[in-house]
Amino acid sequence: MNGEMEILEKVKRAFGDRIETAPKRERQAEIRVPLELLHPLIGYLKAQGFGHLATISCVDWIEEGEFELVYHLWSYERRFHLLVKTRIDRENPTVETIIPIFRIAETYERELHEMFGIDFPGNPNLTPFLLEDWDGPPPMRRDFDTRKYVEEKYGMVDLTKELWERQEPILEGENGED
Amino acid sequence: MGLFRWSQSRSLWMMHFCTGCGAVEMPPTMTSRYDMERFGIIPMATPRQADILLITGYLTVKTLKRVVRSYEQMADPKYVIGFGSCTINGGMYWDSYNTIKQLDLYIPVDLYIAGCMPRPDSIIDAFVKLREMIAKGEANGWIRYRENLEWYRANQAKVFNVEKWSAIEP
Amino acid sequence: MVILEFFLVLIGITALGLLYGGIARKWSARIQRRYGPPFYQNFLDVFKLLGKKNTKSHGVMFALGPVIAFTGITLSLFFLPLGNSRPLLSFEGDIFVLFYLLVIAPLGMALGAGEAANPNATIGIARGLTLMLGYELIFFLSALAVMMKFNTASLWKIVELQGTFPDWNLFPFFLSAFAGLIALQGMMGEKPFDLTVAPHEIASGPMVEYNGKYLGLLQLYHAIAIVVETGLFVNLFLGGGSILTFILKTFFVFMLAVTVDNIMPRFRIGQAVKFYWKYPLIISLLGILVVFIWR
Repeated sequence: MNGEMEILEKVKRAFGDRIETAPKRERQAEIRVPLELLHPLIGYLKAQGFGHLATISCVDWIEEGEFELVYHLWSYERRFHLLVKTRIDRENPTVETIIPIFRIAETYERELHEMFGIDFPGNPNLTPFLLEDWDGPPPMRRDFDTRKYVEEKYGMVDLTKELWERQEPILEGENGED
Repeated sequence: MGLFRWSQSRSLWMMHFCTGCGAVEMPPTMTSRYDMERFGIIPMATPRQADILLITGYLTVKTLKRVVRSYEQMADPKYVIGFGSCTINGGMYWDSYNTIKQLDLYIPVDLYIAGCMPRPDSIIDAFVKLREMIAKGEANGWIRYRENLEWYRANQAKVFNVEKWSAIEP
Repeated sequence: MVILEFFLVLIGITALGLLYGGIARKWSARIQRRYGPPFYQNFLDVFKLLGKKNTKSHGVMFALGPVIAFTGITLSLFFLPLGNSRPLLSFEGDIFVLFYLLVIAPLGMALGAGEAANPNATIGIARGLTLMLGYELIFFLSALAVMMKFNTASLWKIVELQGTFPDWNLFPFFLSAFAGLIALQGMMGEKPFDLTVAPHEIASGPMVEYNGKYLGLLQLYHAIAIVVETGLFVNLFLGGGSILTFILKTFFVFMLAVTVDNIMPRFRIGQAVKFYWKYPLIISLLGILVVFIWR
């Protein structure tokens, strides 16, 4: 356990008080970092053996007006999973790309750009990815009203509420036998 | 004419458009356990040669475009079977922002197989039913599509978010 | 009267080929422990295809391709002795013509499918024509052994000189016959040489764009090709006899090919040609050596 957590202390020593570290469970820990230090930190971690960027995920903290980007790093030598978390402004979400450090980030950033509307300056390929002919707001944001969008676009009416409030059983009489 | 229709009902070549989870029910239907070849139904590799388009499961907007193109490449007479709840009303994806809810709005469906997921028995049952419908001349979705082409095109254009849509243009 | 005879042979052999195909489907279903389609399923398929509407033509050659294939195979059918009866067309050297005509059919299909510009079709054609380099050589070498023995290049004379059961060419020329059988497997496109139309791989290859009536014509072509190709082998190695024994023999040879088809995986094209130019080539050359010793 100590050998694994040694990296956290190393990071702490290198970057000082501006980052917070916390072990989460066995073989997993998280590092909270302000946006300015994100790129140096990821570069530093790659040099420390975290050579595999598994994915970049995003959490929408709508109450606080912030997005939280989570960079999942994995080290094959240490067999250790690091979550590098950084918060960005929700109104103007912009993060410099990390393609110079991890080439694979191009695809992950493309997906985040599509699903959350986060801009990644420096990424050459922020074209539509999974959603073709998309006309609505980025769908993974929490203020995106899925049902309203579905009703408008696909002409689907939500019947669940009505069915829920109906008192008499739905299946009885003509089809109740079988 | 009777001979052609009879042989049509007895020899159905199927293209299974495996988009969703329903595709997993097809291998047992094709192979030794349920063996659909005894009804003259065999899987075909290309839409040009197929008679049945089997949509197995949910369709995203992106996939629907390919489905419409495949459907229009098939030779008349052609039949569509909607497989699973997803093609009827969206199924478990009923409030998903990116999957279509009613397949019938975009291409004409002759027969639905309800269930999530339908077992191979019910797939075979649907094929037998379709065979009866063809023999009686009731399975005329392809005529419906041709007659109401503008309505279908308008529905397709609405989901594809364009003014006008044509399957032939790339 | 003669024209009627031509039609009778054509229709009879087409029906026979479709029947063989249907029984083969049933047979492979039984090998895979399935129930299988009815034996007349191939008739239904052809009727259905002929009743369908063609959606799109890709040009004149696209439509002519199946016609060329069908014509080529029909013409070669008339050179084929059905049992001891003299074939409708026969002269000294017709075996070369027959070989030549057998190439026309795949070539016609290649021309037609090439017009469709589908990449799968192009791959299929390339594979088919490359594979032809393999099996044509072997089949011709094994036929050459028989031709040298009887000193004739007329298929009918070979059948006549060969006689019935104990005098079958199969026994003295078993090496050539074995090589010919391997070549036949490739000629009929059965596994392990079914890479021309590999439905799971290149979506039925040259036929990928064909539909409706064109595909129906190609099915008929395939049905006749079964009888012509097995019939050629039967005439060369399995002796003469009445037309009934001819049918039995071709059926047996075809079922052998189908059985092998069911228990074999598929070669890649490089492997297939390499295979043909290695063992079957050696076997067929040894077969020719046998003739020299025999004489």
